[in-house]
Amino acid sequence: MVNSNGFVLTTVDELLSWGRRNALWPLTIGLACCAIEMMHAAASRFDLDRLGVIFRASPRQADLLIVAGTVVNKVAPMLKLLWEQMPDPKWCITMGGCASAGGPFPTYSTLQGMDRIIPVDVYIPGCPPHPQGLIYGILQLQKKIKEKGVKKYDKAFNDFRKDIQRQGLIPREIEV
Amino acid sequence: MNKATADRVKFEFKDVDVERTEHTVNLHVRHEKLAELLKHLKEREGFRHFIDHTCIDFPDKRERFQGIYILYNPDVNERVLVKTWAKDGKLPSIEKLWPCARWAEREAYDMFGVIYDGHENLRRMFMWEGYPYYPLRKDFPMEGPQEVELPSLTELYAGRTEPPSHDFELMHTRVATLEDLERTERSRLKKKAQLVLNWGPLHPGTHGTIWFLFDLDGESVVQSDVILGQLHRGMEKIAENIYYFQFLPYTDRMDYISAICNELAYVNTVEKLLGVEVPQKARYIRTMFAELQRINSHLLWLGTGALDLGALTVFLYAFREREKIMDIIEGNAGFRLTSAFLRIGGVHYDLAEGTLDVVKAFIKDFPQRLREYHNLLTRNRIWLRRTKDIGIISREDVFNYGLSGPVARASGVPYDLRKLEPYAAYDELDFDIPVGEVGDVYDRYLVRMEEMVQSLRIVEQCVAKLEKLPKSAPYVNKEHPAVMAPKEDVFMDLEDMVKNFRIVVHGEDAPPGEVYAGGENPRGELGFYIYSVSGSKPYRLRIRSGALYNLSIFPKLIEGRTIADAIALLGSLDPVVGETDR
Ligand code: SF4
Repeated sequence: MVNSNGFVLTTVDELLSWGRRNALWPLTIGLACCAIEMMHAAASRFDLDRLGVIFRASPRQADLLIVAGTVVNKVAPMLKLLWEQMPDPKWCITMGGCASAGGPFPTYSTLQGMDRIIPVDVYIPGCPPHPQGLIYGILQLQKKIKEKGVKKYDKAFNDFRKDIQRQGLIPREIEV
Repeated sequence: MNKATADRVKFEFKDVDVERTEHTVNLHVRHEKLAELLKHLKEREGFRHFIDHTCIDFPDKRERFQGIYILYNPDVNERVLVKTWAKDGKLPSIEKLWPCARWAEREAYDMFGVIYDGHENLRRMFMWEGYPYYPLRKDFPMEGPQEVELPSLTELYAGRTEPPSHDFELMHTRVATLEDLERTERSRLKKKAQLVLNWGPLHPGTHGTIWFLFDLDGESVVQSDVILGQLHRGMEKIAENIYYFQFLPYTDRMDYISAICNELAYVNTVEKLLGVEVPQKARYIRTMFAELQRINSHLLWLGTGALDLGALTVFLYAFREREKIMDIIEGNAGFRLTSAFLRIGGVHYDLAEGTLDVVKAFIKDFPQRLREYHNLLTRNRIWLRRTKDIGIISREDVFNYGLSGPVARASGVPYDLRKLEPYAAYDELDFDIPVGEVGDVYDRYLVRMEEMVQSLRIVEQCVAKLEKLPKSAPYVNKEHPAVMAPKEDVFMDLEDMVKNFRIVVHGEDAPPGEVYAGGENPRGELGFYIYSVSGSKPYRLRIRSGALYNLSIFPKLIEGRTIADAIALLGSLDPVVGETDR
């Protein structure tokens, strides 16, 4: 990347961030009503492909989790598992009231907010939000990535190291 | 149930009590005689069609749980409720009579802790194995016991802001762990063949979050089971805790693809209970929107069903038309998907300016679109190979598994509540019920395609009628004390304001009694059973889900077939998880 100052290291970051924010590949998961609006956002009229958002069916190829719908207590560990299977850097958008904070279901079976198990980057209110709302949320996430850059590796790597040590996959003495 | 049948039953079973309430006929039977009576009703009296089974909890009574069975006689178009008290928390299982009762019993076990003697595998239906409570018991709080500490991770990572970024309670109800889920899975299926394959719960092909287990021998399925509850949100518990009118938006979120049809079924039931008359204009508006919603729902089924089998074009085309219908709904209700458009006693708004013109344009345009879909699929060789002679449902199975909606009709059973128990304006309109011959996936496809044509006919007639009605015709019942006054009156009229204020604060005053009524949804019969002991909240509100019972035949149909068929089959049964799990 060339700017008026010639080759600068920070532009690599900028380049990566540019690439990342314009090719956010979400995981195809529909949980409830909001998923229908998510499908509408991806279908003919709103056409999310324009923003480089292409739904992937495998968590290993995805870097964005759009939690569209009610997360119940029974599904929470599965979603967490999927989240952990996604490679870093990754982001999470909660779509709708349910995923953001439990929504209209303050009951025994509903998780009161996705952020109880996964850190969330963008919350989209609505029940369900319009497809426009979802697109706005994605644009906000792009802005956030642009402003904050992608500094998630260190933390993720440390977490990973701690995790495998805790699970006893490698002896504690060995430095990873 | 008519008098002659009741007398015959009474003659056979001396200690059966026949109780006639305003809306139902109840047979009260002793626990020991239950199976015998149900068998008699099924085999001798023609009550073949299983509608629903559930329980009610009466903590003050000695026996505590009352089981309720709702049956339907297709020959004479009658329903009957059979009621019995559990003995020491136990009821006999009737899965031998109606195999789908297996699921209803599992659900009652899950929610009330009633044990079913003779059930082949009595497991938790919605919650996970090891969940210690029975949520629908009256002594269980709606929020559940707050037992674990679950802070918001966003706040933990970003630091607490002042004021807090959002308001939440630190304590939370129990959340399942992966071990819990593994236990749930293992308890369901005893492996007989080579490999147990999990399909779902978070798989795009499962139409939501249904969790299938296939025991595979090579590629063919030896046995299978379905784990539900990945979207169990506790609707029935919520309903017991809020007023009648407050539950209406929740019905939208059950079968979220056909929100207005759900609302229609619900308001219809509550209106029966409260004795509310609905003005003519409101009835026509309701019918028109319900049918538009039906087209909308079938389009989603068409798009996703075809997408599952690899036809992406149909998906994009179908969604193009869906957008048009959603615009019509949004223009009137202010909301695209979960519209909350109907009200008890009428509809929320009068028709928006220009609605009828838009609808007319849609009616003109849509047949051409339907032809496009037909061109793409109906004679398509791949489509035929994937759908013909797959998953054949016989007529007996329709009754045994409590099937309804297009799934039942594709097998040649003309079970359609719009004709049999007309509600809204259906009895004044002219339309046909398409039925299939073979009952395979292809027939179900054709039936739904034809239903869209019929819905269009209904919409056309509604438009013609609504055009004739004067603009000033009332769209909500203004006289009844339990019906909220329309918005424009509330701001102008003190009396109406007071009335609304009273209803919002204290709820509608419902008489004691019980009522079961259903609506013909795109996914089959959506029934509401309301048991009221006066007051403004239902004592028990049971939701009879068409999609749940339609899905209950899946394990039987998939036996001996390959996994590829499972996808076509599931698409043709068209369940929606919001409704199966509630
Ligand atoms: S936020 Fe509303 S629309 Fe979205 S999943 Fe929850 S209930 Fe459904």
